[in-house]
Amino acid sequence: MRELAERGYLWCIALAFVAFVLVTIGLDYAVLVTAPWVLLALAGIAAVLLIVEARGVALAANRFKWYAIGWVVAAVVAMGLWALAQKDVQAAWPALKSFRKMWNVFEPFALFAAALFVLIAIGILAIGTLDKGMHQPGRLERTFAVNMSAKVAAVPMAFTAIGVFVISTGWTIYHSFTNSKLLPKSQFIGLDQYERLWSTNRWLVSIENLAIYGICMLIFSLVIGFVLAALMDQKIRFESVFRTIFLYPFALSFIVTGLVWQWLLTPEFGVQKIVRDLGFENFTFDPLFNADWVIYGILFAALWQGTGFVMVLMLAGLRGIDQEIWKAARVDGIPMWKTYIFIVIPMMRPVFVTALVIIAAGIIKVYDLVVAQTSGGPGIASEVPAKYVYDLMFGGQNLGQGFAASTMMLVSVLVVLIPWAYLEFGGRKRG
Amino acid sequence: MSVSIRHLDLNFGPVEVLKDLNIEIHEGEFLVLLGASGCGKSTLLNCIAGLLEVSDGQIFISGKNVTWEEPSKRGIGMVFQSYALYPQMTVRGNLEFGLKNAKVPKEERDRRVARAAEILQIEPLLARKPAALSGGQRQRVAIGRALVRDVDVFLFDEPLSNLDAKLRADLRVELKKLHHALDNTMIYVTHDQVEAMTLADRIAIMKDGLIQQLGSPNEIYNAPVNKYVADFIGSPSMNFLEGVVEGTAFRTGDTVIDLSTYGFTAEASGPAWIGIRPEHVLTGGFSDVSGLTAEVTVSIVEPMGADTLVWTQLAGTDFRFLVDGQMEVKEGDRMQIGIDASRASLFDKSSENRI
Repeated sequence: MRELAERGYLWCIALAFVAFVLVTIGLDYAVLVTAPWVLLALAGIAAVLLIVEARGVALAANRFKWYAIGWVVAAVVAMGLWALAQKDVQAAWPALKSFRKMWNVFEPFALFAAALFVLIAIGILAIGTLDKGMHQPGRLERTFAVNMSAKVAAVPMAFTAIGVFVISTGWTIYHSFTNSKLLPKSQFIGLDQYERLWSTNRWLVSIENLAIYGICMLIFSLVIGFVLAALMDQKIRFESVFRTIFLYPFALSFIVTGLVWQWLLTPEFGVQKIVRDLGFENFTFDPLFNADWVIYGILFAALWQGTGFVMVLMLAGLRGIDQEIWKAARVDGIPMWKTYIFIVIPMMRPVFVTALVIIAAGIIKVYDLVVAQTSGGPGIASEVPAKYVYDLMFGGQNLGQGFAASTMMLVSVLVVLIPWAYLEFGGRKRG
Repeated sequence: MSVSIRHLDLNFGPVEVLKDLNIEIHEGEFLVLLGASGCGKSTLLNCIAGLLEVSDGQIFISGKNVTWEEPSKRGIGMVFQSYALYPQMTVRGNLEFGLKNAKVPKEERDRRVARAAEILQIEPLLARKPAALSGGQRQRVAIGRALVRDVDVFLFDEPLSNLDAKLRADLRVELKKLHHALDNTMIYVTHDQVEAMTLADRIAIMKDGLIQQLGSPNEIYNAPVNKYVADFIGSPSMNFLEGVVEGTAFRTGDTVIDLSTYGFTAEASGPAWIGIRPEHVLTGGFSDVSGLTAEVTVSIVEPMGADTLVWTQLAGTDFRFLVDGQMEVKEGDRMQIGIDASRASLFDKSSENRI
């Protein structure tokens, strides 16, 4: 019975929290608006049950008292914040009015947090009086009381993380099944948006470009980055100078990189003109104006910008290899290239994984480089998915279509990520 | 196979790390390079292995000049302090990798791996990865990697330094057995004098890129050539008293030590140090010592189990000596001690060389 009450209490509080977050981000359906209060009431009943089980609340002088006092203090602070948002208080203290907007945002959160904290305090008191001789923390204690200050501090971050990563994603997916245009609305049209998406030439070109760009970017930046790092690791002179030079492009934004390479690759005053001025009159080099080559022009700019960073990562990894490994390999008579491939690179696996994740994230979100360098042209030859999403959502005022495209991007990322995560983390538990 | 090092110099820029070193290492000999850190002992080993280019001089292995030869062509195997195993390969893979690379046929490879595994008792570990081995097992595999290469000379670069004391003692004995079984030339770098004394046929004590003394452990222990060696070897370390040699007597303050039984190597008189090992000081049950007998007051007692180290004052200097661990000694006790001059060492005050 006590176990059940404790479990019910925990679930009610967690669900009330989620429901409240949902309401605050704008999903104000009647069910959701009432849910937090219903759930909190249920939690209150569970707390009462716990108290009954404990045969009365004795404010026992044990560790639970201190935990509960902590949560009550947190509730008082939250109530204080709430009070600052009230008109009467603001009238009495005019300086607050200049922050009115901020207080208005705080108001519901503060009120809810105060209620939550009080309820948590009650629950802890109940559990504390239930068993004064508890030797080890129970579920409630572990959830709310152990390391309490850290948990209170994490509440805003929990709000943000749940709001941004879980609820917003769900919201996007949900609306990708609607015919939202300028504003989101809940008129379902099934998979129509996806059917339209996959019959749009521009989207197909985007996907193809992303595939070419992604595969080439991944391979070339890893290979070039590693080779540069290996060359830098040969105890060369002026290493720091070279390192700075190679890393420098990384300090530029994609917009600047895109513009610089747009100019360099423009026939009228870029590479082509220079070579022609040298006397090669028929030389032609205009990748940005050729629909078949334009994505490689973008790729080149991205490599120029990104390999320096990969190199620095790899160099750090190489520096982490024990010098005695190199000596042992030399004594074993293993040539340097074989030492790199069969010994050093496998030892650098964590560095490669890090580099891979960073590069992959950069590939999926490539947008500004394309905008600055080609604006998706010539025609639609250098479109990429992120640009498609942005253009549809904010340019074409077709939110549903943009949501469908971004959902497809999410799905493609998950298709890659889930098997990888399963191999990387699931396998370890078994092995 | 013999190794000979002739007039070896090594400079890192303006810093002279090794200065005109000459060592002849006989076939089957176990030579230990001993010294404090920074004395150049590991550098010398790396030069022998070919991992560092020498600035001047030659290195001969089995009579062949290998000064400019690649490490893998010198007929050496090397064992490192950090084991330097290839972490992503199994033990067998570690042992085989060099051989595969040298295109040794499969049967031959298997035979050599099996032999090395048998000698080092690592057969059950062959399928494991280094991460799943203990420190001692890893070092065995590292030795095995040198063993499978069928080399003439083994080089050890502080191989036991990363192990705990108990394991170090065990592996030390096994190294000694291994040397008896294989009869290879071995060159071993360490800063641990116990390892040096127990393993070596000969010890080379190095300091500042120079060899201070090259000799058998007994020679080095009994007749150190200078004060540095005398101080470095022996634990607890030697007592030194400062004084003056006058004929066959050593005078320090009011104390006079009779040197008539001391084996002088050179004509000597003038300021000098006398060195007396704590374990050579006689206590109780002696009669007629040809050096000095004195009565001293115990100031500190350090029991170490088998022995007890007793601190006292002699001629105004701290003076330590060992007594049997069973003997009851308390601070403040008066004790009779005797110093046998024939077991002492005398060093010239200015040159610090043995006289």
